[in-house]
Amino acid sequence: MLEFESTYRKPGNTLLGLVIGRDPFDFWAGRYYVGLWGAVSVGAALLGTFFLFFAVGQYGDWDLWRANIHPPLREYGLGVAPFAQGGAWQVVVVLASVSFIAWALREVDICRKLEMGFHVPIMFCFAISAWLSLQLVRPLLLGCWCEGFDLSFTGHLTWVSNTGFRYQNFYLNPFHAFAIVGFFLSAMVLAMHGSAILGSYNTAKDPVLEEANVDNFWRDYIGYSIGEYGIHWLGFWLAIYTLILSDLCILTSGPWIKDWVAFWQWHLPWFPQ
Amino acid sequence: MKAFRRFLGPLVIIVTLSLAGFAQPLLDKARAQDMSSPGTEPQSASTTQPYTSSSLGTGESGYISPDQAKGVGPVDQSAPLDFSTQPKTVPHVYVPGKLYNVQVDTQYDYAGLVLQMTYQASALGVQCSYCHNVANYAYDTPTKLLARKMLIMTNNIQHAWVDPVKKDYPNYAVNGAVGCITCHRGQPRMNVSYNIVPVEYLDYRYKSTKQVGYAVNSMYSVAKSLGVNCLFCHNSADFISLQYYPTNQIAHRMWRMVDAINHQYLPPSVKAVTCYTCHQGAKWPQALVTAGLNQTPVEALAAHPEVHENPGAHLASGAQL
Amino acid sequence: MATVISGPALPPVQIPRPSYRDHNDSLGIRIGVPFRIGFLAKFGLDTQLGTLWLGTWGVASVMFFVAGVFVLIWAGISAMQGDVVSYVRYFANVQILPPNGLGMAPSLAAGGFWEINMILWAISVTCWAFRCWERLMRYNWRPYLFFAWVSAILLTTTIWVFRPIAMGTWAEAPGLGLNSDLDWAQNFSVLWGNLYYNPWHMLAIFFLFGSTMLWGMHGATILATSAEGSHHEVAEIKDMHSGSHKSMLFWRWVMGFNANPKTIHDWIWWFSVGVVVSSAIGIISTGWVTNDWYVWSVDHGIVEQYGPMTRSAINQRPNAVPLELPLYFPAPPGAVATTNGDKGVTK
Repeated sequence: MLEFESTYRKPGNTLLGLVIGRDPFDFWAGRYYVGLWGAVSVGAALLGTFFLFFAVGQYGDWDLWRANIHPPLREYGLGVAPFAQGGAWQVVVVLASVSFIAWALREVDICRKLEMGFHVPIMFCFAISAWLSLQLVRPLLLGCWCEGFDLSFTGHLTWVSNTGFRYQNFYLNPFHAFAIVGFFLSAMVLAMHGSAILGSYNTAKDPVLEEANVDNFWRDYIGYSIGEYGIHWLGFWLAIYTLILSDLCILTSGPWIKDWVAFWQWHLPWFPQ
Repeated sequence: MKAFRRFLGPLVIIVTLSLAGFAQPLLDKARAQDMSSPGTEPQSASTTQPYTSSSLGTGESGYISPDQAKGVGPVDQSAPLDFSTQPKTVPHVYVPGKLYNVQVDTQYDYAGLVLQMTYQASALGVQCSYCHNVANYAYDTPTKLLARKMLIMTNNIQHAWVDPVKKDYPNYAVNGAVGCITCHRGQPRMNVSYNIVPVEYLDYRYKSTKQVGYAVNSMYSVAKSLGVNCLFCHNSADFISLQYYPTNQIAHRMWRMVDAINHQYLPPSVKAVTCYTCHQGAKWPQALVTAGLNQTPVEALAAHPEVHENPGAHLASGAQL
Repeated sequence: MATVISGPALPPVQIPRPSYRDHNDSLGIRIGVPFRIGFLAKFGLDTQLGTLWLGTWGVASVMFFVAGVFVLIWAGISAMQGDVVSYVRYFANVQILPPNGLGMAPSLAAGGFWEINMILWAISVTCWAFRCWERLMRYNWRPYLFFAWVSAILLTTTIWVFRPIAMGTWAEAPGLGLNSDLDWAQNFSVLWGNLYYNPWHMLAIFFLFGSTMLWGMHGATILATSAEGSHHEVAEIKDMHSGSHKSMLFWRWVMGFNANPKTIHDWIWWFSVGVVVSSAIGIISTGWVTNDWYVWSVDHGIVEQYGPMTRSAINQRPNAVPLELPLYFPAPPGAVATTNGDKGVTK
């Protein structure tokens, strides 16, 4: 335990406690908080990992890079496929989704305990939305589970490549382009914030003067200083913006637009070349 | 010294900009030499003899020279007949019911020939008077001469290019043959447009990313001409390789065919035939000649559902059409 | 002074402003009258805009940048044959492509504009790097920001300058233009064997997604605990209060590991610089380590082999297994089915 930790480790204040009045899972395992949702999350993850290994064993290729669990074929549509022909994928995806959502709820529990804002689980929910958009929502919109991506290291890269070519040129997807702007802006602003703090801490005797230093530096350098609260606000909302646009970029590809090159010719009738 | 350091910065800026000013004449000179198209194209392989149509026994190359392409159009029915330039077989008085001056369609009897002519006329959306002088159907007008060449060309295309594909890739074969209507689609002067990437690019070692970009752009045209996406012919992991899907190999043959049509049959004054000319957005041209055959191209498409899927769907993950 | 959203009230302090002029630099002045945008306070952002420090390097950088933008617009309009309306209409599709080969372009339209723009912007970003260093030294900061900027421009220089020089042609570089840059990404991947199988590309994506993830985590954590003043990070590094305690404990209980107000910034700095460094290595090794990343990955066992790989005339694949099948259907007897000599392209 960290030296200040004992004052913060208090029982109670969990979601399950709200509902049924008591929480038998309200304890720590070493440094990890358990909670009902921790048990669910870890349980689902362990079960999913077991099925993962089982399925990989069936396919036979144990190499960590290449091992692959394929989604069902198109002919099964939105139904349940036999285990060896895509059912394994369905099982693992369901268990993973359950595990992620339980993880988010566990973070909510911890926020309630520590009496802090819920920004972290909200952010994590946006991250989960990206996973669910790809593996759940888009297959539902397109009418078959085959549209999800392979659970495999290089297999999922091939899936991304295939999806790109399937829509002729995915780089021309404007949602994709704006999401990439979000990613690169995030990286740049992150570097700026990290540099500011790492550059300036403990360089002056008075921390108040040091912080004023940060503001003055940014005003000199780029004419504006967003402030120590503001930079974290910016990072938070940049990440959310990026995730929302990523969701949009994949959900519009297939259900709406089938050819992102032709999309740009909305002001021209397509004529044969 | 201190004053010098104070003003060193602006001095450097002013000097640099002045130097840029001295570069103005150079810029003007460069602009005067402006070319409209950037970059160099790959060197084309040299060619030798044109393609001969051994299938029809005429011994003709099928090449349509620019002179022959000139002056074709609806026949001027009021022009006087000049028999001095005509073959000997053309009669001075035309008698219906007999065959005169038939050089290419030699396998037909009179009734069959009239049927064939009717088909050709409807395929081009014209009347008999477009090619023939109606007073003497055996008389060779310039348009009729061109039509003869077109017949040779069509037969060449079918026998030399399309039939071998059907033989080697039976899954992709359709009951139907290339005919006048496949390209002309009811227009005597068909819609042709810009050239696609020259056939040299098929065997080409791309010199740069910029150059492959030209090919990628034209690949998009090919894909839209067939109504497919890139994965119909390409494996996205191993993109350039040819050995994955039969569609890639068929496409290569088709590309050589288009190139042969453009450079060996049609004169350079005619703009190019492309994939779209015949395919018009479908994997098989919808307008094929099926006389005597028992399946239209539309039925054939329905009968070969496996070709609706991307051929390599089982090889690389995902991505079906 | 920064707008403090919440937390313990800090005493008002008269901050001795850094000197108004830098007497070693005639352009070393702070300009502008700061003005306030009150709307920003609703989001907790600082409302003051300005002042701005000029500096010779900054002025030079901006001038060269603006000159480059001017050249770009000029080039675009000349590419549309002087038609400004269609330049605006097809702005996304306008492209200014590099010349072939190295050396001076044969003319303005055939790569000259591209080269001029490159030179102007290269000078601009270099001047900005000098500005960065100068300000950091003036404030007596550690040079993290400088190295971050240098690595970023090293990446862009690798893409636009170093690698084209190494490959022997400017045409390897992207053009200038919205859609043409996007197309470059596609074309590059098509020509060089699918960049998804480039391990440095994988690393770069890991760092990129990781950067966004870390922003989500760090930003959310600070916002969630800002009521206890965790956003005064420099002060918290010296002396932690309850906000930082809660931040650390949150992550310790969630994932068993936590940073502290100082080391989290180490994480984010290295992740964001890791993006550009891995990308640069990945770019420069394309064409050098291998000219086909798919073949390379199959040889290194990373990727399953999806089918036979051939020694094709189109690209060299020394590691590929040659196939027995002929590449093309041999021409029918009596025909040489190619084009009509060096008439080449018909337009």
